[in-house]
Amino acid sequence: MTAHVLPPAPAVQRPRVLVVGAAFAAAASFTVFIGLIGIYLAARVDVVGSGTAWLPEGATIPLQQPNTMFITLIMSVFTMQWAVAAIAKNDRVNSYLAMGLTLMLGIATIVMTTYLWYLMELDIASGIQGVLIYTITGAHIVMLVLAMIFVALMGLRALGGQFTARQHDGITAAAVFWYAMVAVYALIWISIYVTK
Amino acid sequence: MALTDTRPETGTDASAVAPSVVPSPLTIFGTGDHKAVGTFYVLAALVFGIAGWVAAALSLGHEVGSNSFLSGSTAMQLGQTSNLGLILLVIVPLFLGLGTYIVPLQVGASTVAFPRAAAAAMWTWLLSSGVFIVASFIDGGFGGSREKSVSLTLMALGGLIVALLLGTVCVLTTAVTLRTPGMTLDRVPMFSFSMLVGGAIWLLTLPVLLANLLLIWVDHRYNGGTTFGAGAIQFDQVLWIAYEPQIYAFLIPGLGIVADVIATLTGARLGQRNILLLAIGAFGVLSVGAWAQPAIYPSASDDLVWQAMGLLMLLPTLLFFGGVAKAFKDGKPSLKSPLGLAVVSLLLTLLAVLAGALLAITPLELRVSGFFAAGQYVLAIAAALAAAAAGIGYWGPKMTGGHSADGLGKLNVLVLLGGGALGGLSLCVLGFSNRFTGLEGAHDSLVIVSSIGCALVALGGALALLGLLSGARKGAPEAAADAWGTGQTLEWACPSPPPTGNFGDLAIVRSPEPLLDEEA
Repeated sequence: MTAHVLPPAPAVQRPRVLVVGAAFAAAASFTVFIGLIGIYLAARVDVVGSGTAWLPEGATIPLQQPNTMFITLIMSVFTMQWAVAAIAKNDRVNSYLAMGLTLMLGIATIVMTTYLWYLMELDIASGIQGVLIYTITGAHIVMLVLAMIFVALMGLRALGGQFTARQHDGITAAAVFWYAMVAVYALIWISIYVTK
Repeated sequence: MALTDTRPETGTDASAVAPSVVPSPLTIFGTGDHKAVGTFYVLAALVFGIAGWVAAALSLGHEVGSNSFLSGSTAMQLGQTSNLGLILLVIVPLFLGLGTYIVPLQVGASTVAFPRAAAAAMWTWLLSSGVFIVASFIDGGFGGSREKSVSLTLMALGGLIVALLLGTVCVLTTAVTLRTPGMTLDRVPMFSFSMLVGGAIWLLTLPVLLANLLLIWVDHRYNGGTTFGAGAIQFDQVLWIAYEPQIYAFLIPGLGIVADVIATLTGARLGQRNILLLAIGAFGVLSVGAWAQPAIYPSASDDLVWQAMGLLMLLPTLLFFGGVAKAFKDGKPSLKSPLGLAVVSLLLTLLAVLAGALLAITPLELRVSGFFAAGQYVLAIAAALAAAAAGIGYWGPKMTGGHSADGLGKLNVLVLLGGGALGGLSLCVLGFSNRFTGLEGAHDSLVIVSSIGCALVALGGALALLGLLSGARKGAPEAAADAWGTGQTLEWACPSPPPTGNFGDLAIVRSPEPLLDEEA
């Protein structure tokens, strides 16, 4: 009796164009924040060096909300990776669920950021501090929204049956951009919220 | 169909080579063909280049004598607009256009990565450039008095930087992921490699410029322009892209063009190729200048790292110079205009790097007046334009399907050499005026010479444009696939102009010069 030999599987689509492109886009986005935070730290050193407090009188940055956001975004890293791992096993239901959860965690972060802006009582026209803090945190929200749109689009394409266990570059690419967004938040957390 | 999908007419089925799409308004505005997108970039950037160099000449002319034909504010805004414009509207898009057209051909790809995104980037850049120019002309330049116009300028600049970054991502992704089998990174043609290095540096530095613009805009719009948005210091915050070492980042693709042109038109393989690749890489590393922002870090130019970068830049430049010079010795140079333009670019690059090294030597006090740095800027941008003109002349037959008038190119060799040298060196000489008091009396004469030099470079841009168009005219000698007869890299294996899909079946690449292997 001869064993049935299956034909070889088709080659996996290589190279991973979308993943590499997303990595380049993530690097460029990350660099925007490197620039912003560099300018923020230089301005802060100047103000503190002149003997005055960095934050204007009356303004405050509580730590509870930034910490909550950080934990939320770290959780979103796990849910995003869950989506990638699930689609890699052709487990579409878990992948949809994970992407949905990731989007919900993103929305929670936006809500918390706006609540933090309310609590800070920092006027954008209060000087260099207001301009820098609102520009950096606002730009991060823009990056978060872009990452959410990316994840949502890939989710819709997954629903349309475009991704499989062998070819799921779209979801991996969205995950790369999402991780870059979380890394940016880590920088903001330490340099703005913790250092104050 | 998503932005990241490939349009049917740019499909990756290279075995089915279809005839070129007939141009029509729909195919022009809706195309995702990398050849059309690249050509639009090049044509628009050349037109902007002519205007930009004329603006530079006019703003220099304002410096002469006491009775100027421009008001102080207008001249300042014109100078600043041309300073930024020559980089973001001319040099980067020229190289990006050539990269969008040529890199997929050089790496054996049927299309650029994300063709729709590449097209979106080009149209966004073009639209933003138009808005930037119009807003600048209605008193909206940096420090302009019309608040809304200034906001428009800032937003247009932001838009065109995002567009250039998106275009760069497409070209970089092509070079990284769409290489034909056998084309390892060390076998990538020099221009594609230099686009990879240059594009990576742009990707890591231009976003910082975007950050600067964002802060200026937010402060200008919401804080009354009291800090970053204050009119007097707006331009100072973005000046770093026109200053050492960042200015070198815009020369990197030019090095690749020079190497490719010299290799083909001398008919010699580039000896010590890995050293040339290393030189281009080192040139890129030493041109990262986003950290050296005088407005944020006033003592940046006193920093040892800044000075070391300026001096060390001589090493990769000389290494590169030596590497390509060997090709002249090993081969038989063909006296065609692209070769002359490549040599002009190389000479101007060497002068710019030498000027940068002198600028870095603190005891010479060349950073006091700003004239020396302005001279270095003119040399560097003229070198980049000469490299782009060499590339346009060299790949022109591939782009248009016809040979351009070589006489125009040869005239351009003289014009760009004269223009670049006069425009830059006269300002460099003026930079010594704080050490040699006699030079102060020659201020007006030197500035006039520089202004004439800038006007000549504008003429050089016009000649490059005419040269490209002359190849597309009816009756131009038809170009073969290997238009020069000595092509070494894959772009010379496909018809001129390339059809949709670019190639049929390609053999596995076994060296950096696959066409020479084929002949052997």
